[in-house]
Amino acid sequence: MAKKDYIGGGIFTALGIFIWALTFQFPVLDDGHPGPSLFPRVLGTLFIFFGSMVILNGWRAGRAETPALPEEEVQLNYFNPFLVIILIAAFIAFARKLGFIITGATILIILMMKLRVSPLRSSIISVALICFIYLVFSKVLRVPLPHGLLGW
Amino acid sequence: MEFLIQGIGLLLAPKTFLVICVCSLYGLFVGSIPGLSATLAASLLIPFTFFMDPVPALVSIVTMSAMAIFAGDIPAALVRIPGTPSSAAYTQDSFALTQQGKAEMVLGVDVVFSAIGGLMGAVVLMCAAPLLAEVAMNFSSFEYFWLAALGLSATVMVSRGSQVKGALAMCLGLFLSTIGVDITLGYPRFTFESVELLNGISFIPAMIGVFGVSEVMRNVMQGEMHFAVTRVQAGKIFSGTGRLFIKYKWNVLRSGALGTFIGILPGAGADIAAWLAYAVSKRGSKEPEKYGNGSIEAIVDSGTANNACLAGDWVPALVFGIPGDSITAIVIGVLFMKGLRPGPMIFEKQPEIIYAVYFAFIVANLLMIPFGYLAVKTSSQMLRVPKKILIPGILMFAITGAFAINNDVFDIGVLGLMGIIGYFMEKNGYPVAPIVLGLVLGPILEQNFMTSMIKSDWDLTLFFMRPISALLGTITVIVWLFPFFATFLEKTKKKGNGQLQ
Repeated sequence: MAKKDYIGGGIFTALGIFIWALTFQFPVLDDGHPGPSLFPRVLGTLFIFFGSMVILNGWRAGRAETPALPEEEVQLNYFNPFLVIILIAAFIAFARKLGFIITGATILIILMMKLRVSPLRSSIISVALICFIYLVFSKVLRVPLPHGLLGW
Repeated sequence: MEFLIQGIGLLLAPKTFLVICVCSLYGLFVGSIPGLSATLAASLLIPFTFFMDPVPALVSIVTMSAMAIFAGDIPAALVRIPGTPSSAAYTQDSFALTQQGKAEMVLGVDVVFSAIGGLMGAVVLMCAAPLLAEVAMNFSSFEYFWLAALGLSATVMVSRGSQVKGALAMCLGLFLSTIGVDITLGYPRFTFESVELLNGISFIPAMIGVFGVSEVMRNVMQGEMHFAVTRVQAGKIFSGTGRLFIKYKWNVLRSGALGTFIGILPGAGADIAAWLAYAVSKRGSKEPEKYGNGSIEAIVDSGTANNACLAGDWVPALVFGIPGDSITAIVIGVLFMKGLRPGPMIFEKQPEIIYAVYFAFIVANLLMIPFGYLAVKTSSQMLRVPKKILIPGILMFAITGAFAINNDVFDIGVLGLMGIIGYFMEKNGYPVAPIVLGLVLGPILEQNFMTSMIKSDWDLTLFFMRPISALLGTITVIVWLFPFFATFLEKTKKKGNGQLQ
C-alpha cells in the first residue's frame, strides 16, 4: 500500500500547490479581501495537508509492513478498463461523423467480443440494443442524437 | 388537506403510476445483480428524470432505491454475494440459513421486514420533515454554511476505509464545484479559456462517470461470474413471517428507529444503518452465538434498518438541501435540475410535491410485497443474466445519458474523465461518494460562506453568535477534532496496557 499512498498523496499535494499557484491570478474584492481565490486556496491547503498525511501514513505502513501472504489467484484483465476509456474517446471522435447508431453498435460489438461473446451473438445483440437505446432517447425522450452517415 | 389530496392525485396519475411500476422492476433487477449498486441505478436514471415532471422524477428515485435495497438481499441469501452494500451486514446469516434449507423463510423475512422498515421510515419522514422545516425557516447563511460543513464532515467521518482519503475525495468534489464562473465577481476559475467549462462541471455526467463508468471499468476487469443458485419455492416465502413479526416486534421498532435516525444524519447511508442495527441486535440478543451462523433475528433487525434509513436520508435533503447519502445527493441534483430549490421554502411553495414524495415511500413499500414476491420467483433467471452483455449495455446507456443532458459530446468527455478518477480512486482505497457530495454541497458551502463573510464585514466570530449557528458550528468542530481525540485516547490506552503488562 505504501507505494500507492506515495503516488496518491503526491498527486493530491501537487494538485494543492497547482491550485494555489493559479489563484494568484484571481482578482480581489473592492475592499481588498480575497474573493474568487478564497475557497480554492482553502481547498489547496487541505489538499496539501491531507495529501501529506496520506504520504506519511504510507511511509508508516511501509515501515511496519510484514511479508504479504500469497494472494488467491484471480484472473483479472487489466487491459479491459482502458478499453472502456478508449471506446468512450472513440464515441466522442466519431459519433458526429458516423452517427449514433453506427458508432454505438461498433463500440458494443468490440466490447462484447473482448468480453468473449461470440461475433455473431455480439453483433445481433449490439444492433438490437443500440436500436432500442436510439428509440428510447431519440423518439420517446426527443434527444437529437447525431445521425451521421445514416442521415435520417 | 388540500395539498395532501393534490399530492396523492399527482402520485396516482396514470403516467406517474407507470413510472412507479417500471422503476420498481428496474430497481429489483439492478439490486439483485451482484456488483451493481443502487447508486449506479440512480445515476443511470437521471437522464430519464431530466425529461420527466418533478413528481414522477422524484418518485422514480424513491421506488427504484427502495426496491434495489431490498433486492440486494436476494443474491445475499442465494449465492452469498450481497446485491448492494446495504445487504453485506447479514449476508453470512442469510446464506447460512439458505444452506439449512430455509431460503424461503429468509427471503420472506427480507421482503416483509424491508417493507415494514420502509414504512416506518416514511412515517418519520412525514412527521419530522415539516417540523424541521419550520425550524429551518429561521436559518440564515450562517446556519446553512455550518449545515453544509457538517454534512461534508459527517460524510468523511463515516466513509469506508481511511478518513484522510475520504477527506481528499471530498476536497476533490469541492474543487470540481469551483470550476466555472465564481459567485462573487463572476470571474472564470480554472476554465483554461474553455467555453464549455464556464458553466462548470455538469453534475449529471460527472455523477454517471463516478458511479457508472467506474463500475463498468471494474466489472470488465473481472471474468464472468457463474452462480450455483438455490431454487426457491416462492409460494412458501410468506409462511411464518407473521409469527416472526410478533416475536421480534420490539426489534423491528428499535431497528426502524435506529435506521431512520442514521438516515437523518448527513452522510450516513443504508449500509451503515444495517451494520449498526446488526451490532445492536447482537448485543441485545438472547442468542448471540447464532450471529454469523444463521440468525433470523439479525436479518430482521438489519433488513428493517436499511430500508428505514432510505426515508430518513430524505429528511436533511428536503429540509436543508443537505444530502443524507449518495442517492439523495443525486436527488438534490434532480431538484435543482427541475428548478426546485431544496430547503424549507419548498414546504411552503410546493407542498404538493413533498406530499407526493411522502406517499411515494408508502406506495413503494406496499408494492414491495407483490413485487418482492415476483423478484423472488424470478431470482434464478435474474442471477443468470450474463454480465458480459449487461455491462456493455450499461456503458452505452451511460454515454447516451450523459450526451442527452446538453446534447454535447463535451459531457461525454466529463463522463469518461470522472470514470477514470472514480476507478483509480476506488482501486487505491479512496471512497468516491464524498466526491459527489462535495460537488453538490460545494456551491452551497461557498455561497453561504461568502454571503456570511460579506454580511459580517469579514468578522468570523459572527459564525458563533447566533444560537443555532453556534450549536451547529460546535458540533462540526467536534466532528473535525474527533479523529485526533480518538487517536490520542487509543495511544493512551495502549500505553496504559503496556505499563500494566
